[in-house]
Amino acid sequence: MPEQPPAPVLTLAPDLTIPAHLVGEVQSKLAYVDERIQKASVAASGERIDLLLSQPLPNQRLVEISEKVQRVVASMVKGAIQPKVQVLEDHLDRPVPFQADPHPELLARGELSQEANGIFAFGPLLARLMQYFESQFLSLADSFGAAPYRFPTLIPARYLERVGYFRAFPHSLTFTTHLREDLEIIDQFSASAACEGGELNTPARSFAPVQALLSPAVCYHLYFALADQPLPGGQVVATAVGNCFRYESINLTSLERLWNFTMREVIFVGAKDFVLESRELARQRVAQILRSIGLAYRVESANDPFFIGEFRKQAAFQSAFQLKFEIRARLPFKDSTLAVGSYNYHQDFFGRHLNIALPDGSPAHTGCVAFGLERMAYAFLAQYGLDPAGWPGAVQEAFL
Amino acid sequence: MNQQAAALVGRLQTLLATALQVPLEEVSKDLSFGDLPQWDSMGHMEVMMSLEAEFGVEINADTIAALTSIPAICVYLKENQHA
Repeated sequence: MPEQPPAPVLTLAPDLTIPAHLVGEVQSKLAYVDERIQKASVAASGERIDLLLSQPLPNQRLVEISEKVQRVVASMVKGAIQPKVQVLEDHLDRPVPFQADPHPELLARGELSQEANGIFAFGPLLARLMQYFESQFLSLADSFGAAPYRFPTLIPARYLERVGYFRAFPHSLTFTTHLREDLEIIDQFSASAACEGGELNTPARSFAPVQALLSPAVCYHLYFALADQPLPGGQVVATAVGNCFRYESINLTSLERLWNFTMREVIFVGAKDFVLESRELARQRVAQILRSIGLAYRVESANDPFFIGEFRKQAAFQSAFQLKFEIRARLPFKDSTLAVGSYNYHQDFFGRHLNIALPDGSPAHTGCVAFGLERMAYAFLAQYGLDPAGWPGAVQEAFL
Repeated sequence: MNQQAAALVGRLQTLLATALQVPLEEVSKDLSFGDLPQWDSMGHMEVMMSLEAEFGVEINADTIAALTSIPAICVYLKENQHA
């Protein structure tokens, strides 16, 4: 087999030094600069960017990519506002026995199989672990008397438009479509559809306009169910689990980042104090659950992964008003953390945009507590390994 | 309200009308975050940047969270000698 030439690397110095708190955010956004970028890394100093390209490119294309990178950096860094990091809980030093990445062993044992980037099938061990964690979060929901809901996997495009999702997170959208209602197109597809390099060879004109997307979150469905009417009883607590979809391009590298993942949410809608007090009470109750699981984690302020143009302002706003806190579980094998859940407060954003009215006519406030079940299972296995004998008693018991 | 305070309020009303892209008459003297659909999270950050440009207010987590109404901005500007 002929030797492959090494993939070309484009190295450049950003015009503006990327501050430490933005290194990860900028790096993740570089994925969306150009389809030829296979991997992007930003040096911890913030003064060097390396882009691994899929193939050698002419100078003109390299210049274009460099200019786009500089634009991304300038947009996110110029006038960047230092976030106010607040740590609500710190149990990162909780002793855990495992130090390796469980991913390779899960693959080797057939407990995990990768269908495509960011798309995995889970075997019995992971499925049962996720079921166990979900039972814990369901007990949390029960403690609030949360009403159960079931929501569709699809979400209408007009819903996401109404809450400004296209402006804030365009890069992570996953669109759905179907063949146009045209006999010739359907016959042609049936006769010639094939996958080439993982991609369907169907011409774009065969597809109908996009009316729906794969849902990026669970709680949006509840807010739309409550839209344009007075809030029943003045407050609502609900819970639901659902498949969520967030496309993360080349960042979809392992179980840490999935295109298709499962989220259990407990959702609060009502007056400001009710939502904030419920979010805080939920945090205290989750702390007990995570203690029994033995998870090493920290709860700290965070921001959503807004796209480049929106990032600086939205992230600063979230930070200033302490709207989002993440449960970040320790990944001992790489000495870093992974967000496995979050506590969110949206102020009256959804109440105003969707016309959800409190009894006094003012817009309702909303908040939610969300858990990523795959990430919970992955982080747990990263801390305790695949042998249930080494797991904390509460988790072991669920497997007996 | 003395003349100087009234002038500051008027200046802020104009600043907010421009930042939020609304007619001046919609900006009341005691306007607060959320009173107008345009004064949402993105609108608020536009207000903050206008305050930075006009008065040299430093945009940080504390000022973003505190300067959420014209009266609050007035108090801040006076206390911090920006006005």
